[in-house]
Amino acid sequence: MGSDMGLIVKTMARATIPLIGIFGAYVVAHGHLTPGGGFQGGATIAGAGILFLIAFGLNEAKTRINKNLYSALEGVGGLVFLIAGMLGLGVAFFYNTLWHNGPIFNGEPGTLLSAGYLPIMNLAVGLKVYTGLVSAVFAMALFRRWRK
Amino acid sequence: MTLPFLIIIPLFGAFSMPIISLFGKKLKEYWALIISGATLGVAAKIFYTVWKTNEIILYTLGSESPIGKGVKFPIRIVWEVDLLGALLALTITFVGFLAVLYSLGYMKHDTGLEKYYTLILILELGMLGIVITGDIFNFYVFLEIMSIASYALVAFRNDTWEGIEAGIKYMFVGSVASSFILLGIALLYGQYGTLTMSYLSLKIAENPTIVAKVALAFFIGGLLFKSGAVPVHMWLADAHPAAPSSISAMLSGLVIKAGGVYAVARIVFSIFNPGLHAYLKAFNMPSINMEAVGWVIVFFACLTLLIGNAMAVVQTDMKRLFAFSSVGQIGYILLGIGIGTLAYGSRAGELALAGAIYHIVNHALIKALLFFVAGAVIHEVGTKNLNELSGLARKMPMTTLAFIIGAAAIIGLPPLNGFASKWIIYESSAMYNPILAAIAVVGTVFSLAAYTRVLFTFLGRESEKVKSAKEPEMSMLIPMLILVVAIVVMGLLPWQINDKIMLPTARMLEQLNGEYMVALLKFLGGA
Repeated sequence: MGSDMGLIVKTMARATIPLIGIFGAYVVAHGHLTPGGGFQGGATIAGAGILFLIAFGLNEAKTRINKNLYSALEGVGGLVFLIAGMLGLGVAFFYNTLWHNGPIFNGEPGTLLSAGYLPIMNLAVGLKVYTGLVSAVFAMALFRRWRK
Repeated sequence: MTLPFLIIIPLFGAFSMPIISLFGKKLKEYWALIISGATLGVAAKIFYTVWKTNEIILYTLGSESPIGKGVKFPIRIVWEVDLLGALLALTITFVGFLAVLYSLGYMKHDTGLEKYYTLILILELGMLGIVITGDIFNFYVFLEIMSIASYALVAFRNDTWEGIEAGIKYMFVGSVASSFILLGIALLYGQYGTLTMSYLSLKIAENPTIVAKVALAFFIGGLLFKSGAVPVHMWLADAHPAAPSSISAMLSGLVIKAGGVYAVARIVFSIFNPGLHAYLKAFNMPSINMEAVGWVIVFFACLTLLIGNAMAVVQTDMKRLFAFSSVGQIGYILLGIGIGTLAYGSRAGELALAGAIYHIVNHALIKALLFFVAGAVIHEVGTKNLNELSGLARKMPMTTLAFIIGAAAIIGLPPLNGFASKWIIYESSAMYNPILAAIAVVGTVFSLAAYTRVLFTFLGRESEKVKSAKEPEMSMLIPMLILVVAIVVMGLLPWQINDKIMLPTARMLEQLNGEYMVALLKFLGGA
């Protein structure tokens, strides 16, 4: 016990974790329009997860974070990316068929529902980076052998 | 088009591994086996296609044509597969498949296997990407995928200090080498504004500036690091023995080839073509002195094959001995490539390149077999110290047979495959400069001394440790036997293989008529 931090940190973390998460989700969702993208947004969301781990301690995190689920979700992120790349395989690998032929994500450039497979890929990469970074930090936290 | 499946299948296997492993304990091993088997099938198909048609496959990612809209130059990532790339892809998938098969038995007692199989598939993917790509930044990306997977795999057994130390050392050296290569790419991109290899070679020939020469120096330096040539081989002798044996087989057999000597050959022949620059020089136009580059490669090759093989003689650790022997064999391959650069366009150059390519394939098979044998010994006896291993022959006859075949092949005894490739390298170096051939033969003498020691250990009197040893299980024996059969069969048809496969491959790499560039220029004409 005692791996969590004080009341002030916990209260601040409660207030900021949702905001960090929302900002990260915004960066992911607007990846094809604004600076940033799947990786940056995913890393931002992972920042919220790491803040949770540090503020509330390893024991609390163990009850909330399911390692198997995270590792499976990381795989799902990769698979969605791969499938998005394979959609236009009739022409070429990574051919942006959604953008050229539709039916979705083929709106006016600059709007949210444009750019073909890019929003899908950003979401997939965001999921992969978020789950991957959280599992990596979680594994490092579990690996502290010197604490017995 | 089957080419993208060479990347899609291992990528799919790697990404789906965490999900698959939720459904059952044994399932992930068979999944890795299925995936690597399917990749082997795709690679065989691609090799057959390229070999049959004798034409370079050019595949554009994301569009039908690599040429940009409204411009006259290539802007997209292209994959350009010539015979060398296809041959290496076949070798990589073959040895990779056997390594996965071997892991079924060898890694049975380890934990974290879903990570192991994910990484092994990613390692394979990175090497396949390197050998098929025609875009130099894409090459760098795949090189990093391969390197990072291999750093993690070297340190996979993290309960011993050996693995972690070797992994960290490998990571530091590898990162330095990668940054050299990245710097070279950045210089070329800054100077010529393109990343497509074949277009880059035209641009360099138009205007060979000092920047191109500096970039070439960075490439050669970084890639010699990656291939473990002698002044910078120290990471290899630590990293390859510390990894699990199935991984050592892939590292020694494949990684130093795909990420090292293959890339040297690709950059020297496809980006800075010696023939093109000799032609420019003949007309008194500015050119790059590729002869100097050839001598640099030959110098390091001679150093590598002497010191690598000589260091192998004094090792007492079996896997370390094999690792040093890998350094020595890389020397032969580099010697072939160097003479191919120096004697470009002549019979000696063509033979030297064919010998180098032949030796890449042969050494991949032989060294994989030898590391499989070492792994079987470690698995059954629990030590790799040669002083404690005498008398294995009575307890593990099949393993000993596999070792004898492997050792004889790597020394270059006639009925086995190592003989043909080494002979071609000796012959071509003697045609170019007899001193180089003499140095190569001296290297082989050291190699013979090293392997004779191990052989005597196997055949000697039985020691305490090996009393309870027995043959390993079938999943470990079968890959060894497949490799033994491959080595013997390839050894029985040496000149047929050389004439049918290796010489056309060398000609296509040499590109006397600029085939590698023409494959891209076809699109320019139509646009």
